Amino acid sequence: MANAVDIPGIAAADIPAIAFEAVSVTLGARPILQDINLVVGRGEFVCVVGSSGCGKTTLLRLIVGLIAPSVGQVRYGGRPVSGPANDIALIFQDYTKALLPWRTAYGNVSLALEARKVPRTQRPARIAELLRTVGLGQHADKFPGQLSGGMQQRLQIARCLAQGPSVLLMDEPFGALDAMTRQVLQDEVLRLARAGNASVLFVTHDLEEAIYLGDRVIALRPNPGRVARIFDVRLPRPRHQLTTREDPEFLHLRRELSDFIHETET
Amino acid sequence: MTRLERLGWTAASILVGLSFLALWQYVAWRGLVSPVFLPGPDKAWAALADGFRSGVLTQRTLATLQRMFIGWVLASIGGVALGMLIGASPTARAYLGPTLEFIRPLPSSALIPIAIAFFGLSKSMVLGVVAFGSVWPMLLATIHGFAATEPRLLEVARILGLSRLQVIFRICLPNAMPDILAAMRLGLTVALILSVVGEILAFQGGLGSHILEASRAFRSPQLFAGVILLGAIGLVSNLILTVIEGRILRWRQP
Amino acid sequence: MKGLVLPLALLAVAELCARTLGIASDTLAAPSQILAACWDVIADGTLPLRAGQTILAALGGLALGGGLGLVLAIMLGLSTPLRRLLRFPIETLRPIPSIATLPIMLMVYGFGYRMEIAIVSFACFWPVLIIGQAAISGIEPRLLEVSRVLGLDFFARVTKVVLPAALPRLFIAFRQAAAVSLIVAVTAEIAMNPQGLGYELMAAQSSLRPATMFAMLVYIGLIGWSLNALLLLVQKHLFGFAAGSQVSP
Repeated sequence: MANAVDIPGIAAADIPAIAFEAVSVTLGARPILQDINLVVGRGEFVCVVGSSGCGKTTLLRLIVGLIAPSVGQVRYGGRPVSGPANDIALIFQDYTKALLPWRTAYGNVSLALEARKVPRTQRPARIAELLRTVGLGQHADKFPGQLSGGMQQRLQIARCLAQGPSVLLMDEPFGALDAMTRQVLQDEVLRLARAGNASVLFVTHDLEEAIYLGDRVIALRPNPGRVARIFDVRLPRPRHQLTTREDPEFLHLRRELSDFIHETET
Repeated sequence: MTRLERLGWTAASILVGLSFLALWQYVAWRGLVSPVFLPGPDKAWAALADGFRSGVLTQRTLATLQRMFIGWVLASIGGVALGMLIGASPTARAYLGPTLEFIRPLPSSALIPIAIAFFGLSKSMVLGVVAFGSVWPMLLATIHGFAATEPRLLEVARILGLSRLQVIFRICLPNAMPDILAAMRLGLTVALILSVVGEILAFQGGLGSHILEASRAFRSPQLFAGVILLGAIGLVSNLILTVIEGRILRWRQP
Repeated sequence: MKGLVLPLALLAVAELCARTLGIASDTLAAPSQILAACWDVIADGTLPLRAGQTILAALGGLALGGGLGLVLAIMLGLSTPLRRLLRFPIETLRPIPSIATLPIMLMVYGFGYRMEIAIVSFACFWPVLIIGQAAISGIEPRLLEVSRVLGLDFFARVTKVVLPAALPRLFIAFRQAAAVSLIVAVTAEIAMNPQGLGYELMAAQSSLRPATMFAMLVYIGLIGWSLNALLLLVQKHLFGFAAGSQVSP
């Protein structure tokens, strides 16, 4: 882990990737998050679900350092978060706005490498590889405006991967896409996370998606956002769109989670 | 609309234009309007041809073009540079914004008397007025473009860890490009107008002086020739800029 | 109000320089002198006279050019074939700078109102035509269908459906034209016409009265700015949106 802190007596592998310690966030007079305590381990895939008003997006923005907590502390690799750490990648839901429309797919991925001051000679190979990884190898010269929604989101993922992230934060990334594309990209994300051994915090509205993807599902209750319950997902990996979704454990979890969310909403 | 249809309509439109020309010729030929005020297109054309053959119009056109172009280039560079400085800093925007908004509706030609006061009736005075007067569209567009940078992109820049300079040149500036390029086209129009006004006032040659002299001497064919030339300059320069703009902004969806 | 800091500071510096350095008094004037001149021109009637002349010419040109532009915009906006046929003539005539028509109008009308109104009309005609035509051709086609179903004749259709539907964007065109009318009127006066604020500006400069010259400049700016602000207010009130920070004047 890049930013692991040497705490005597604790092995680096035991330091969680992300830790929230009694975090509350208040904007003006409105409490957004209240007393959040949670931990994401290295290489873990954690999903966060909850209705609107739970502060799910705020959770991610705290980790990446765009906001600071009003109370409590957020730690990354043991160290308190004070600003954006370049190896944390955040994938936005509004992918069109998060891409540079005047640069090609190649140029967009390049931006991350330019920020990291990767030498110019090394960039083409790296970018080509990343684009191939997300399936955009043939579209390097296209502008975002010429790409479909799914392809734009993949481009964003490619750019985030160019950061070489240890942590992937995803904010309802597939919400605006059709069901088919969503399933394809779900599997892509699983594959990429596994390959890079990244810790993932995945926010979604879709309960089935959360169970399908995650090792754990954290359910938030709204107004203000609090951790209501944490579900362990004991489903075998690797996951398959058809077989996993028919697994009795999957259906059981789905029922549990769905009931729970309904309760918290009323 | 297919390509053929578009071509057809353009051809038809040109025909309409030509028929207006024929109408003009007819009116002039029948003397429906005094030939002192409205020369026929044939006379205007003759004046054009003569003017170029004798070199008078060539020299004057070049003088105006040169003035307009140099002033505009200076204004563009200055306007964008200054606009970037102001646009990149929210404090600067807050302090300077209202003043700039107040100056915006001011006719740039109102600067001329002040310029005359300082520089007298000289070539550099006119150039100075052209440059200073055409700066406003580019300046304001750059500032506005910077202020309107998509906030999501700025967040992305922070997360990726882009340096401040990188943010300005790789995000804010390209983002402002559509506004800046549109403003540069407008700036060229202003530059042309100011060149002509400056030439009229300061007797500095060029097409401005040409049309003024012609009007004073009631030589309408020469006058119309000059006006046509000015329109042509405006048309061609706008066309060229539009093509260049289209090329630079080709990422925009059709 | 942060916006006032800079201008006030500059004025203070200018005033200080004027008093301590005693600069050449035929090209520059201290802010206090300019302020005095601002008052003087009101008191001796120069401002009402000159401003009146400029505004009258601008309004006349706006009404004439804008009116013609609106009529044509309606015709072209409603008829696609007409719009396509007139594209070439419009695109060739449009780039002629309005100032280039000045010598023509000078020749035909001599000095005075008619010449200036003619030039301003030419200048105001185009923005109203171009933007107005876009506004009208951009009306929700459903509305036109409805008006046909209701059996409205052409005149009723235009006044009851077309114009109201296109009004917000037409107002923007009008605002543009209004700004242009003032600018072109003043420019014509600076260049040639011996009346109005522009003329007074030039006269003050050539008779070495810098305080009056700057005072004229202030008033030109003030009138332009307040016209703009007034129209924006009306727009916000009538249509509830502010198209404030546009690039083009």
